[in-house]
Amino acid sequence: APIELKFSHVVAENTPKGQMALKFKELVDQRLPGKVEVKVYPNSQLYGDGKELEALLLGDVELISPSLSKFKKYTKKLQVFDLPFLFQDMAAVERFQASSAGQELLSSLESKGLVGLGYLHNGMKQLSANEPLYTPADAKGKKFRIMSSDVLAAQFEAVDAVPLKKPFSEVFTLLQTRAIDGQENTWSNIYSKKFFEVQASITESNHGVLDYLIVTSAEFWHELPDDIRSELKAALDEAVAHGNQIAAQKAEKDKANIMASNRSEIISLSPEQRQQWVEAMKPVWQQFESEIGKNIIDAAVAANQ
Amino acid sequence: MTTFTLFILLFVCMIIGMPIAIALGFASMTTILLFSNDSLASVALKLFEATSEHYTLLAIPFFILSSAFLSTGGVARRLINFAMDSVGHIRGGLAMASVLACMLFAAVSGSSPATVAAIGSIVIAGMVRSGYPESLAAGVIANAGTLGILIPPSIVMLVYAAATEVSASRMFMAGFIPGIMMGTILMIAIYIVARVKNLPAQAYPGCKKWAISALKATGGLMLIVIVLGSIYGGVASPTEAASVAAIYAFLVSVYGYRDIGPIKHQAWQNEGENIGSAVARNLMLFPVSIFKSVSDPEVRQVLKDAAKVSIMLLFIIANAMLFAHVLTTERIPHMIAESIVAYGLQPWAFLVVVNILLLIAGNFMEPSAILLIMAPILFPIATQLGIDPIHLGIIMVVNMEIGMLTPPVGLNLFVTAGITGKSMGWVIKACLPWLSLLLFFLILITYIPQISLFLPEYFDRLNGY
Amino acid sequence: MKFVAWFRRFEENFIALLLVTMTLLVFVEVIMRFVFNAGIHWVQEVTLYCSAWLVLLGASWGVREGAHIGVDAFVKVLPPNQRKWLTLIALSLCLFYCCLFMYGSWVYLSKLARIGIEMEDLPIEKWKTMSVLFIGFVLLVIRFLEVGWKVLTNQQDGFHLADEAKESMQLADELKKQ
Ligand code: NA
Ligand code: NA
Repeated sequence: APIELKFSHVVAENTPKGQMALKFKELVDQRLPGKVEVKVYPNSQLYGDGKELEALLLGDVELISPSLSKFKKYTKKLQVFDLPFLFQDMAAVERFQASSAGQELLSSLESKGLVGLGYLHNGMKQLSANEPLYTPADAKGKKFRIMSSDVLAAQFEAVDAVPLKKPFSEVFTLLQTRAIDGQENTWSNIYSKKFFEVQASITESNHGVLDYLIVTSAEFWHELPDDIRSELKAALDEAVAHGNQIAAQKAEKDKANIMASNRSEIISLSPEQRQQWVEAMKPVWQQFESEIGKNIIDAAVAANQ
Repeated sequence: MTTFTLFILLFVCMIIGMPIAIALGFASMTTILLFSNDSLASVALKLFEATSEHYTLLAIPFFILSSAFLSTGGVARRLINFAMDSVGHIRGGLAMASVLACMLFAAVSGSSPATVAAIGSIVIAGMVRSGYPESLAAGVIANAGTLGILIPPSIVMLVYAAATEVSASRMFMAGFIPGIMMGTILMIAIYIVARVKNLPAQAYPGCKKWAISALKATGGLMLIVIVLGSIYGGVASPTEAASVAAIYAFLVSVYGYRDIGPIKHQAWQNEGENIGSAVARNLMLFPVSIFKSVSDPEVRQVLKDAAKVSIMLLFIIANAMLFAHVLTTERIPHMIAESIVAYGLQPWAFLVVVNILLLIAGNFMEPSAILLIMAPILFPIATQLGIDPIHLGIIMVVNMEIGMLTPPVGLNLFVTAGITGKSMGWVIKACLPWLSLLLFFLILITYIPQISLFLPEYFDRLNGY
Repeated sequence: MKFVAWFRRFEENFIALLLVTMTLLVFVEVIMRFVFNAGIHWVQEVTLYCSAWLVLLGASWGVREGAHIGVDAFVKVLPPNQRKWLTLIALSLCLFYCCLFMYGSWVYLSKLARIGIEMEDLPIEKWKTMSVLFIGFVLLVIRFLEVGWKVLTNQQDGFHLADEAKESMQLADELKKQ
């Protein structure tokens, strides 16, 4: 019987991640017919956001792609991706991920029984709020929704804003009712979750990156025959490249759609304004330097060239 | 085969009297063992996920707690007095006031039998004393009591929101107009009956008396403002509003009305006491009332009752999520939806089927359990047919209301029989004419989606989208 | 026997405490946000875990308190002897359900303990706070065995399911007295 490989994710099939999963299945069907069978479960059909990592460790799914911040209890090193204003653009993110430091991060999860197989992009994060944000002073005292991450909490505390941890599913209602003032997210998420309809302004800050990590369990991965493992890895790399391409196009398209909707004002920062944000938030790097490792942060900075 | 096993197991387990929660869990677990590769560990993980990752569901214990505090106190009595002074002077006014009182109580409580019990136990006797036929009194109350789950807040709507992931706030908004409409239909019918049968009217109480009873009812009415205001006014999510409601209900019944708890029946102002010392004494009583509540038997009983109902519901929901998990991984709703669409069933015909199915189920089972089993199946079909999920939700809730009035399992029938001391047959007969109004109302709700959708869509437009 | 009595009191108090804690935590979070413009980052996780404890510990407590609902219309019309045996069958299915969950949660919890994952917002190992999954089903097994013994020895004739109508009636009676 073929080896069964369940790929579970929490988003719809027409998203970059969903497309990447389908591409992976297609490639495996072509290259390893009868040897490996990939089954894709989209839309949290098998497990939700909070439990998919544990399900992977229990051996009930073989492949998942949670966002990088979900790994904070597994390794502190991946927090590097949450640091504000570390990467200039997605090209820099890609250079870092492809570098030796970036590839070493993939294996930082081995001791917890996980193997990182590759990074999948969502995009650069923007800041949205119910009032325009030009300088860090505008964010002062405002309540921002964050994912559960110490770095992101520190990032908003650095500009005297109030970080509030809220589940993604409640964000729209909370923004709509103004129970919270703002949030940070990629163009794709702001568009698909309709946040732009309930936020007066979006500042094109590109202040951070929101990426996914594709992981499998060490137990499963190392027990695979060598030839199959390398073939799977090659198929995955190709699928990821495909997914990243779609993600980049989608980010552009969603940004254009948001602009066309005229629902919220899009603010581009002048170099001086942006510099103010950088200066206000950069101290966060030092704060987490010991947890992440100076060499990793340096390698990330170097990727900006 | 999988589907067959799943449903047969569930059916057999329920018939032999297993608790519904365990019947659901057992059927799902066994089906997974027999037909899937999932490990038992992952099923355990799934159950823990169901109990610990649904923030919206927390509103259920909170609303149950607030409802428990309000049901024990004299809130119901004050709401009745207020309703009486408002519409009692119209012909048939006592019956109309009873309906109004049920509507008001429904707006602070999330459950239907509680509404019948709290209002019915007082007003049925009152109506009989004033010369109303007892069957009319009982029939009106049993029907109006069902509004408990249609007028927000509603436990049944929260369960629907949890099962389908539609927004609980939107469901609450959608229930508002239908609830008022059903109440009004009942009142108009009463007025017509009162004209025909020449039923009595109360004396007009006068503005002053009305104002006093309104003031006295404020403690209870404020809860409506807190719940609706915080959800629509953009202060809090339903879960958060529910916790505020629970704390408020505790304060109002223990400190405000002093119907239960450590400072029970202590007056706000004793006879001959001057304002200054009354203020000082009441300020002192505040911390006393709170700290002594910890060991107060009445307060503890309320907590215990609320915990019992919450645990029962949440345990059913957790196991029903396992059930839904088996359904979705086997793609059962998906297949049913596809075959229905392929068969060319029209939305209106589908809604007929839904109503008949739910009315039958409502004869045997408790509303939350029905919703949890049926919603995951009906929801994808409705989506495919272009029926708004909120509209479907309200249709399901109205069906559940009717289910409470149909034998053999009809909670409101049992409660009404208990209050009046009459036989079930007598109660069913008394409810029948009013039940036909509810059926008529169900048709309106089913085929005029705007009744349910107007308010949520209006709020959307208000916010500019 | 003294321990049993003590445990029952403890169980009841603990469950009430969980419900109160949940309510207060969410309430305090709302107040913090509106009055002090601040948030407490661990509140949400702790509230959700309280809810898990409430349900999983409460399930067995609910069996004793007759909190669970079921369909007993069919069982009730049977002659006593048949009803007794049917109830015993239902009970053994319940025990089977519990044992499967006990086994599943044991495997799950020991894996978590081996990897040593902590909770999201608190520095406590997850397997400890999730142990209620196992504990809850152990308690449920004990409770069902107790019910089984009582049914076998004719001290009890069924599950002692909840009767919401009866409870609402008690409420109505109390209101009438006032
Ligand atoms: Na209600
Ligand atoms: Na019924």
